Amino acid sequence: MDKLERLMTLTATLLNTTRALTAEELREKIPGYADADASFRRQFERDKDDLREMGLPLVVEDAPGTDPPVAGYRIDRGAYYLDDPGLTADELGALHLAMSLVQLEGGVGVDGLWNLGGVVGAPAAPDAGDVVLGSEPALVTLFSAVAEHRRAAFRYKDREREVDPYRLDYQRGHWYLTGFDHSRADERVYRVDRIDGLVTLGAPGTFTPPGDTTPGARTPAWQLGEGEPMQARVLVDAGHAPWAVQAAGADAVVAEHPDGSVELELAVVDTDAFRGFVLGFLEHAEVLAPPELRADLVAWLGALR
Amino acid sequence: MSPAGAPERARRLIAIVPWVAARDGATVDEICERFQVDRRRLLDDLETLQFVGVAPYTPDLLVEVVVEDDRVWIHLPQGFDRPLRLRPDQALALLAAARGAASVHGAVDGPLGSALEKLARALGLADADAVDVDLATADPATLELLRHAVTDRRCVELDYYAFGADRRSHRVVEPHRISAFEGHWYLAAHCRQAEAERVFRVDRISGATVLDERFEPRPEVGEARPFVDVEELDAPEVVLELAPSARWVVEYHPVANVEELPDGGLRVTMPVTAEPWLGRLLVTLGPAARVVGGDPSFADLAARTASRVLGRYE
Repeated sequence: MDKLERLMTLTATLLNTTRALTAEELREKIPGYADADASFRRQFERDKDDLREMGLPLVVEDAPGTDPPVAGYRIDRGAYYLDDPGLTADELGALHLAMSLVQLEGGVGVDGLWNLGGVVGAPAAPDAGDVVLGSEPALVTLFSAVAEHRRAAFRYKDREREVDPYRLDYQRGHWYLTGFDHSRADERVYRVDRIDGLVTLGAPGTFTPPGDTTPGARTPAWQLGEGEPMQARVLVDAGHAPWAVQAAGADAVVAEHPDGSVELELAVVDTDAFRGFVLGFLEHAEVLAPPELRADLVAWLGALR
Repeated sequence: MSPAGAPERARRLIAIVPWVAARDGATVDEICERFQVDRRRLLDDLETLQFVGVAPYTPDLLVEVVVEDDRVWIHLPQGFDRPLRLRPDQALALLAAARGAASVHGAVDGPLGSALEKLARALGLADADAVDVDLATADPATLELLRHAVTDRRCVELDYYAFGADRRSHRVVEPHRISAFEGHWYLAAHCRQAEAERVFRVDRISGATVLDERFEPRPEVGEARPFVDVEELDAPEVVLELAPSARWVVEYHPVANVEELPDGGLRVTMPVTAEPWLGRLLVTLGPAARVVGGDPSFADLAARTASRVLGRYE
């Protein structure tokens, strides 16, 4: 009996049993295991690893009626089945195209599509633009936490955090987690690659995320922090206007001059971040108002001269 | 197709069984295409499937497989009647790809939009956009134009702002490859003026026109990954001492050498591809950075740059 047949039979048996089966019971039911005890043990251990790698929800619990208790195995049917999303060929094709364009670092292939109805259509031409998103070790764990509403515990900026994770956003080349930080009693945004060490998860369904979560990472840096915002006005020269508008958002534009320069109005909380933004344009931008921020910039530059 | 191990073949079969069982005679070709398997391997694995079931393996407890006239029927799937859920890494890869592709087109609509909605529901995600991907800031129209130029092998005339050099330029390039990296879109091209490969950040292209002229592809262009700015090679160096608050600099800029300082700061050696780039970094960091070595022309760069910017306020 070949290994494929044994794995399939083992899966069918574990999926169709209502009570956990011991290794010995499985050995009797499944043809193809070795007669020698040591070889059987090795085979069975490897098979269990394979089932887990395949993504099967293998449950290990005390087999009923064993005393002293012996480990028993079954597959959790509730966790096994996908609610078939019923994707059309067009939708599968669009997902296939998307996956050929955008991949996660570390390369999970398109085989997730098998479970959804298969791989349909042609991938994108390789030179027409491709993207590999960074993938931190904590990312998949945090995704499970977001999807299953599990509280996540991790270390960040030298503090232990207990966080109800609401959402994951990929912005400006990095993954960000937004969630409610219980140690700070407030909503916070974390850069996933700066999480220190392992993330441990609590039980599923321990919180209800607010209906409408804000992707915190999208907020410009000068708006972050606490305190009353100051309305600042910045003039940016014509040649630099496009990227200034891109960074600040089209809503920030309060005037467009005939020479192509623009005036932006920004709500500034973090003055360091604001100064960094304006100095990024060197002499191609000028703080017009308020006088405090203009004076701050002049003093900052004066100290360097 | 590469030779697959038994676990991968099993995972594929577990996906094939419910899909075929729900249809009245899927064709062998269609199954091969959808599940990325060659004909011989598929027929072999279907043969094996007939012996799969549960003890005591009487006919009603085995999967029933019929292959006839190049079509396949599966009855009595023995529990394999619905697909296996996705592993978290598979689900995340799918969602991230779909969200990322949608961000390129600027809208979540069409088949991709409906696929995303169905997928989020099947995965039990309460909020369909609990995972979102914004690939990069670039004008979708410029990206689209460049993508067509790459595919059609047509030259493009660019107005480009070189951020490092703080200089605007106008040039004709042969566009070879578009790629997003660390939050930005890049175009790798052969530049006709420089007669060499150049990498352009798409959001710094302020004007692009596709020309009628076609070009012969050069296999070497766009192959380096991740894209490195070619100007970094042979650049003069600066040595900076950074305060602890400015340690982030090494995450965002190329560094040739990093040493820890006793106060928690860093001493870093960096290539300087263009003076305005370093000037900008120094005036932004202010007292948190000090030039302590490297090319002598950088010693008073912070003061010179600060004076230039102050000129606007005087």
